This record gives sequence, C-alpha cells and structure tokens, in this order.
Amino acid sequence: MGLFDATARAFALLASGDAALWQIVWVSVKTALSGLLLATPPAVVLGYLVAMHRFPGRRIVVWLAQAALALPTVLIGLLLYLMLSRSGPLGSLGWLFSQPGIIAGQCLIGLPVLLAFTLAAVQALDPRYAETALAHGASRLRVMTSVLHEARYGVMAAVISGFGRVISEVGCALMVGGNIEGRTRTITTAIALETSKGDFAQGIALGIVLVTLALAMNGVLVLLQGDAHNPGARL
Amino acid sequence: MTLLLSVQTLHKRHGERVLFDIGRLDIAAGAAYVLTGANGAGKSTLLRMLGGLERCAGCTVTFDGHHLPLYPYPRQLRQHIVYVHQHPILFSTSVAHNIAYGLLARGAAGRALHGCVDEAMAWAGVAHLRENDPARLSGGEKQRVALARARVLRPRLLLLDEPTANLDGAAREQVLALIPTLVDQGTSVIVACHDRDLINLPGVQRLKLRDGRLETRSQHTPPTWRTR
Repeated sequence: MGLFDATARAFALLASGDAALWQIVWVSVKTALSGLLLATPPAVVLGYLVAMHRFPGRRIVVWLAQAALALPTVLIGLLLYLMLSRSGPLGSLGWLFSQPGIIAGQCLIGLPVLLAFTLAAVQALDPRYAETALAHGASRLRVMTSVLHEARYGVMAAVISGFGRVISEVGCALMVGGNIEGRTRTITTAIALETSKGDFAQGIALGIVLVTLALAMNGVLVLLQGDAHNPGARL
Repeated sequence: MTLLLSVQTLHKRHGERVLFDIGRLDIAAGAAYVLTGANGAGKSTLLRMLGGLERCAGCTVTFDGHHLPLYPYPRQLRQHIVYVHQHPILFSTSVAHNIAYGLLARGAAGRALHGCVDEAMAWAGVAHLRENDPARLSGGEKQRVALARARVLRPRLLLLDEPTANLDGAAREQVLALIPTLVDQGTSVIVACHDRDLINLPGVQRLKLRDGRLETRSQHTPPTWRTR
C-alpha cells in the first residue's frame, strides 16, 4: 500500500468513528493529562524555589534537571518496570501493565521538562518583581504566586512542552503499560505495533490525531499569550 | 524630635572592597532626608539594606525603641518600612490592583480596601488610569503609581531610590510635588538622588556617602520638610 492510499484510508478510519481507534486516543489523553496534572504543581514549585534561592549544590540541581531532559524515556520505563514488578519495592501496588503505571511514568517524564522550563522562566524574570512583592509586605507564598503570575507565559510553555513530551513518548508506555488493547494501548505504542504489522492506515490516523493534539495545545498557548509580550518595537 | 530609626552598625563589602562602614545614622520621625554621593558610592545599597532587600549580617538598628537585627529582616520593620525602586516594577495586572497589592498582602478587603485605593489614586493623580495596563504607562505615571502603592500602606519610613531619575518636565514636577506630602502625613522619607531641586528643598536633612563614610548635614531652615 502506498503512502497516498494509506493516508486516504487513515482519514476514512478517523471519519468512521472507529471505536478501537478512539479508545486508544482516550487512553493516551487521559494518561498524559493525569501524569501532567500530578507533575505540574511540584515541578513548578521546585523550579521556582531553585530559581529564587541560592544554596550549596544549586548548580548541581540545575545540571541534573537539565540533564534529565535528555533522559531516554525507555530508561525511565525500565527503572519504573523494575520498581513496579512483583519483586520490586512498589510491586504491591499492582500498577504494572495498568493505566496508573503509565500515569506514574508520564509524571516522571514530565517532571524534568516542567522543572527546567519553569526554572528558566523564573530566572529570566526581573528579580525586582520578587523584591517589590517583598517590600510591600507579601508573605513567601504571595511572593511566589506573584512571581509565577509574571512568569506565566513561560510556565504555560513549560506545561505545553511537558504535554508534548509525555503524549509523544513510546518507551515508557510500552514497558510499563504493556500495550494491552483497550486498557493500556496508547497512540504511540499503537503506531509502533500497527506499523510492525504493516497496517499503516491506523498508524497514520493516530499520527494525525497526535499532530492535531500538538497543534491544538500550542494554539491555546498562542491565544493565551496574545500580544502581551510585544508592547514595544516590531521589526 | 522623636527618633524613629537609629542605625548602630551598617557595613557593606564587595569582596575586599569596603563599600561603606556606617557607625551611626539617626532618622527622626516625620523628617525628610536626601542621600547623595557619587555613582557607585552605595546609596542604593544602603537603602536596600534598610528596606530588607540586601543581606546585612551583623547589622543592627533601633526602631521605635526596639533593638532589632537587619538580617534576617524582622517583620516589625517590614510592616513599617517600604522601599521603592528607581525604575518601579508594576505587576502586570491593573493600576488599581498594583496600588492595592500591599494592602491585599496584609489581609485588607472590602470597602476599606477600595476606599484606601481610591484615595491613593486621587492623591497620585492616577485615578483615570484605574484599569489600565501598567506596561503602557509613561515613566512618570509608573513612578506615581509606585508612590501611591507605597503610601497606601502608611509606612513610617519610605525609602525612595532616585524617584526623579530619567524623568523630565511635567512628569518630574508631578513626582517632586508628591514627595513632600508624604512627609506631611508623618512619614519619614529618605531619598537617594542627584536631583538639585530635591537636595536644595528647605528643611531637608542631607546625608552624603563619601569614601565609605556617611556625612550628615542639616540645613538652617526648620527641620521638617513641608509641602511648598
């Protein structure tokens, strides 16, 4: 089957409302958003704290956070597999080959992205924002919320990037989820499987969904950002 | 004259270089001071230390009769001393929210909050900018909003870092006119500046940082600085 035929069949598959295909999309979106939801609060707070405070070993923390961005997801999957396997320390949870297992993996994969991007966004902000908040009697919590509000576009970009990383990863979802049809099969693991079987149409259909999701998420970010960052000169 | 703040030891080093070493500095309640000195003499650093924005290990002050360290900065000082940057930072909300910021941080709410904010905006002449985006304000408007945001907290001591720097014409005059009215309401004000018009105002106590030492000179005119 040629690329053209496969693509035509992919669109037909999407339009037909194929239940199995949309189940895969649903599992992917659900696990990605859940993982992101769990990772975002601690990663953003940690990113803020590392950006705002000077402490011994800070540069090592920054280095590790940035290095973790390049960590292969399959390695995270392997570590999580060993933790969640029956003989592992978290085996009693029974999360291996289940959606909670995938969510835990997505959370671990999203964390460094969110942390590193939040850290960069807060570090790039004028430090006088925090000083102004402090000088007007704000508590530490209010200083943090004020600073994060000012860095909100950077933080939003962190969340979008985190979503992009978790929804597009395949290694961890495959190892920890097991690619079980109807339960733990995600867009990426399904694409890998269908391609190996020679069913390119479903792979392309799921690829189209993945690209649409990426475009939609980034579109939301662009809409939220508006013109806020460009009050000055335009070239 | 009642003593508001008395600095016993205040020193700052940048590596081996001693920026300043101040043995004693007394600030009277309801008095105005101008702090002068060459660029790099440490004017901003001194104000930032008094405002709790610069680490100041081992420095102590007496505020309102209480002996306090400057680091970690005590809550008692934070409630009564407000520092305003040379180029004020306004949060990207609205002018009204910026002015309410400190009051909100202190738990104010309801009609009392709105009344204070309205009064401060009228005082600074920025009532018409209420819902404006602070990023679109001029330098003079930003400075007046920052002064209103500080004034609304009724600080005992206000530290202004070159409030008229980079302003000229009407914007500078408007800011200059606001500062004495702060003293009128009983706030002590220390203004770091190079502005001759501010330095030569009658009744202003002059402080000068030179070679790491603080020189104090008061004028012969009455010791308080009142609205002209």
